[in-house]
Amino acid sequence: MAITRRELITNIAKAGVPAAVAMTTVGTETLHAETEHIPVPNAALGLLYDASLCIGCKACEAACNEANNTPADTRGDGLHQAPSDLNDVTRNIIKLYKPEDNSLSSFVKRQCMHCFDPACAAGCPFQALHKDRQDGIVLWDGDKCIGCRYCTITCPYSVPRFQWKGLDPVVTKCELCSHRLVKGLKPGCTSVCPVGAVIFGPRTVLLLEAKRRIKKNPGRYYQDRVYGETDNGGTQCLYLSRVPFEKLGLPELGSESVPARTLRWQKRIYQYFALPALLYVGLVQVIRKNLAGHEQEAHKREKESGLRAQL
Amino acid sequence: MSKHPTIEEHLEASGVSRRSFIQLCSMLMVTAPAGLALTNKKSVFEIAAAIGKTKRPSVIWLHFQDCTGCTETLLRTSAPDVAHLILDVISLDYHETLMAASGAQAEAALRSAMAANAGKYVLVVEGAIPIKDDGVYMEMNSKPAVQVLREVAAQAAAVIAIGSCASWGGVPSADPNPTGAVGVDSVITGKPVINLPGCPPNPYNLVGVVLEYVTMGKLPQLDEINRPKFAYERVIHENCPRRAHFDAGRFAAAFGDEGHRKGWCLYKMGCKGPVTHAACSTRHFNEVPNCWPIGIGTPCQGCTEKNVLWRMGTFETVPIHLATPPDTYPPIYSAIGGATVGAAALVGAVAGALGGVTWVHSQRFASSQEIGMERIEADRAELEKIKAAEKNLDKKED
Amino acid sequence: MSSTTVNNVPITKARWERAVPVYGVSLVSPFFLLLVAMALLALLLTAYRELVGLGPVSGMNDLFGWGIWKTFNVVVLTAWGSGAFSVGIAAWVFRRKRLQALMRMALLTSFLAYACGLFLLGIDVGRPWNFYWVLFPWNWNLHSPMAEVAICMSVYAMVPLALENIPPVLERLWHFDERLQPGVERFEKGLHKFFPWIIALAYLLPGMHQSSLGALMLLAGNRVHPLWQTPLLPLLYLGAAAFMSFGCVAGGTMVCCLVWKRAMDMEVLEEAARITAWLISGWLVVRVLDILFRGVLYTAFQSNRCAAVFWIETFLITYGGWMLCRSLRDHKLRTMYLGFTLSSLGGMVYRFSPTTLAYIPGPKALYFPSTIELLVALGFVAMGIAGFLLAVKLFAILPAPNQEWRDMAQYFKLRKPYIRWTKYFNFGFFGDKLPTDSD
Repeated sequence: MAITRRELITNIAKAGVPAAVAMTTVGTETLHAETEHIPVPNAALGLLYDASLCIGCKACEAACNEANNTPADTRGDGLHQAPSDLNDVTRNIIKLYKPEDNSLSSFVKRQCMHCFDPACAAGCPFQALHKDRQDGIVLWDGDKCIGCRYCTITCPYSVPRFQWKGLDPVVTKCELCSHRLVKGLKPGCTSVCPVGAVIFGPRTVLLLEAKRRIKKNPGRYYQDRVYGETDNGGTQCLYLSRVPFEKLGLPELGSESVPARTLRWQKRIYQYFALPALLYVGLVQVIRKNLAGHEQEAHKREKESGLRAQL
Repeated sequence: MSKHPTIEEHLEASGVSRRSFIQLCSMLMVTAPAGLALTNKKSVFEIAAAIGKTKRPSVIWLHFQDCTGCTETLLRTSAPDVAHLILDVISLDYHETLMAASGAQAEAALRSAMAANAGKYVLVVEGAIPIKDDGVYMEMNSKPAVQVLREVAAQAAAVIAIGSCASWGGVPSADPNPTGAVGVDSVITGKPVINLPGCPPNPYNLVGVVLEYVTMGKLPQLDEINRPKFAYERVIHENCPRRAHFDAGRFAAAFGDEGHRKGWCLYKMGCKGPVTHAACSTRHFNEVPNCWPIGIGTPCQGCTEKNVLWRMGTFETVPIHLATPPDTYPPIYSAIGGATVGAAALVGAVAGALGGVTWVHSQRFASSQEIGMERIEADRAELEKIKAAEKNLDKKED
Repeated sequence: MSSTTVNNVPITKARWERAVPVYGVSLVSPFFLLLVAMALLALLLTAYRELVGLGPVSGMNDLFGWGIWKTFNVVVLTAWGSGAFSVGIAAWVFRRKRLQALMRMALLTSFLAYACGLFLLGIDVGRPWNFYWVLFPWNWNLHSPMAEVAICMSVYAMVPLALENIPPVLERLWHFDERLQPGVERFEKGLHKFFPWIIALAYLLPGMHQSSLGALMLLAGNRVHPLWQTPLLPLLYLGAAAFMSFGCVAGGTMVCCLVWKRAMDMEVLEEAARITAWLISGWLVVRVLDILFRGVLYTAFQSNRCAAVFWIETFLITYGGWMLCRSLRDHKLRTMYLGFTLSSLGGMVYRFSPTTLAYIPGPKALYFPSTIELLVALGFVAMGIAGFLLAVKLFAILPAPNQEWRDMAQYFKLRKPYIRWTKYFNFGFFGDKLPTDSD
């Protein structure tokens, strides 16, 4: 005999009413606020990379290694620093988009975008990847990281890279040279760029500069648009390009950040842990009743068969 | 000399043209675009003015275990005739190769130069100093070279060790170093010794250092082993004209092969450029363009470096300590990952095994159910028979 | 053997009344030794992995950060072995009493699946020494599905699941030595007092983490192929876990009965098949409607790997469900067995796809497990199966009629008379009711 609908609803209601009242008193505004609002750091720092100015000299690659005290990636031929992509020793990289039809080609500098609502930090179980509240730099804390590599799955730009060899693997990604910033120095890449293709500064200033360039050169930049202004909920590293951003490996993600777009219902269902608690209480009621009935039957069968009951 | 004329006065008196002097100053600017306070001026005329006002410094030049190559390098300048200019700009009071005197007269000249300019002369040392067995392996006027050096350096304002031999031992210090040859700074420890290694070094290194000292009153910025940064800060590899070939992976493999004839990078032939601090790649020798080892197609031997010259094989490749990007670019998306044959085979085997087990079990279910059904049927048939037999019996009884 | 079987053939109208250990079969068989060898190999390779890091032993790379240890042994196998959750809910919450016969089987398979899965999770993470942060709830990132999975699964396996698996062990101890009986009975009473809270937790936690295993791939966004990426992913993952685990428990019990020549209770199995068929239908409805409403059906007709995987998984699940329905009508065991197997396999493919087969982090990125990775995964599965074989022979897990128990007691009495030297060494044998016991 299965549980009747009446019983189920009664039990849930018994436990659920107080919980529901609690939830409504707190208010659905908080619900919306927490799930929709992305806080913007008050002193957000970032980079502005203008792909149309980049000459592909890769001084930024060498400087990044020097600034972060990482060995150059010579795993390709043993002679040159020639990583083919970001990896455990490469925090920024210059790639070349060269279309086969010989139309406009472009370099692109790829490094962490320092998103306003980073998917990597949203997924990190113990907040090893976290966003600094002041300058918005997404930092990695080795003392909290368990090496689950979820950040490598969630980042839409494939930025965090795990160190696959060795006994103390780290997660490597650009941190805007925060260790240099505290000394009043600029990030390694922007310090050596010979043409100013990548520049460093407060994001608000960089955004104004990008817009100024667009205004001054109408039709030069793709869609007269700055990538990262609202893309993925806004990123602190901004891009200007003459070729479509997607061709440079910067995906079109829309103006909602990945966590906001995908975790909305997860957040709502687990808000304040109310629903799971509610369910738990209901389950306990139901099982208690069923268990009592089961034990009675078991004892009856024990008497009938002469064999000890198995509960 | 009791009167110490300024350089400008002396040049005028010697009849050296102002044009030649300005040419010397512009050579200096080329030599040291950065790193010398002397040349950090807006125009060559400002440099000329600065040098012009300086009194001609007295220079004493000692030779020890040398080949005189460093002197020769200074003399192998001709356009303009810098040798003369140098001799006019500085007062070379003692130089065994260049002076006319010899023997006791030479010794007397040394003594008087030391006495007249005590505390003010610049001592330039060429050649290594043997210190083994109390320095008996080289004597000057019956005195061990070590002692001579100490005596002369005691009253020098600055000591410059020119050439690799004087800087760290050079040729005489090659294995097994039978004479115990060492550089000047192993003997003179109380005074700053400026090292200008090279075999031979570029003459403008010396000119720059000396003039900086006497004009500005201070030594140029030195690195941790006292080499002037303006000449020894970078390695050959950083400024090599063949660097593009290195970055593109074009290497010569042997003398005369296609790559060698095309002027490709000599790294694989043992060029020590990546580990050699020197400025030869931008300042060539003998005032002839491309007159330097790599320029004529011979791999750099690292003649300034103590750990390289006479320590490493001529054609032995050096590790690149500061790897830099090549001239190729990665594409936007790179290929990554893939299957190995063994793993694919293993997956196939496991899949096959599981499929086989499932198939076998399903067949056994079918067959056992069939057998069961048959047996059940057989049993039922038997049961029917027994029942029928019983019924018959009952009927019979009835 | 039960008198209701006919000539060693287990097809009768048997009723499963209690759990009976598998007896008359040696603990160690060639197959068992093979499994142990595979498990040992896996442990050796694990030690190697600890020494050299993850790169040299696996096929994981920068774009495919998760390999089969996570995506198969954890995401798929713990779902397949979540019988404690699904069969339990059907039996205890929805009062399908007949299914209670399968409960011990479900609990054992769940325990083994979770134990092996969690062990591999521990091997797979790169910096396991930082896992102690799980003890500091203020450091948890509550919005992270990964945190939810890691914490919830660990708590579940270590607390409710372990506690629920203790009764068979206690039962064995009770029969083993008279002196243990009072202690065992006290422990059992204590356990039963808290059972409702433990069991409720054992249903809440898997409900949370089996769905969170789906939520994990939500954050991957556009990198999961649109045929799979949906806000309903947690729900679909939970549903897949439900019907898969029924297949594991019911199908597994069928195979065990076949192999060890036990009677099969068709009522229970048909009940399980019916429930599974319903679950599959409901799941298929949700899946198809979801694909239609999101308007991505056209992608299933493109010629690429993902479309092929979609059709394979849909076929397996649908055909498996169909076979289960048919088996309810024609009462054929083969059909039922294949129904359970195929639908479980389809469910496995479904849960595996968004993490690997339909996960596209870059146009040229590929992943295939390396040999060592495969051997470790297989070795741990082998460990689980070996554990199962042992447990099923040492404890009363597999259901059987009451007569089977009596036959077992008889068997042990004749074949393995336990030593009774003095009053101190009064060991009984399994099934024996000692003369001092009263009814």
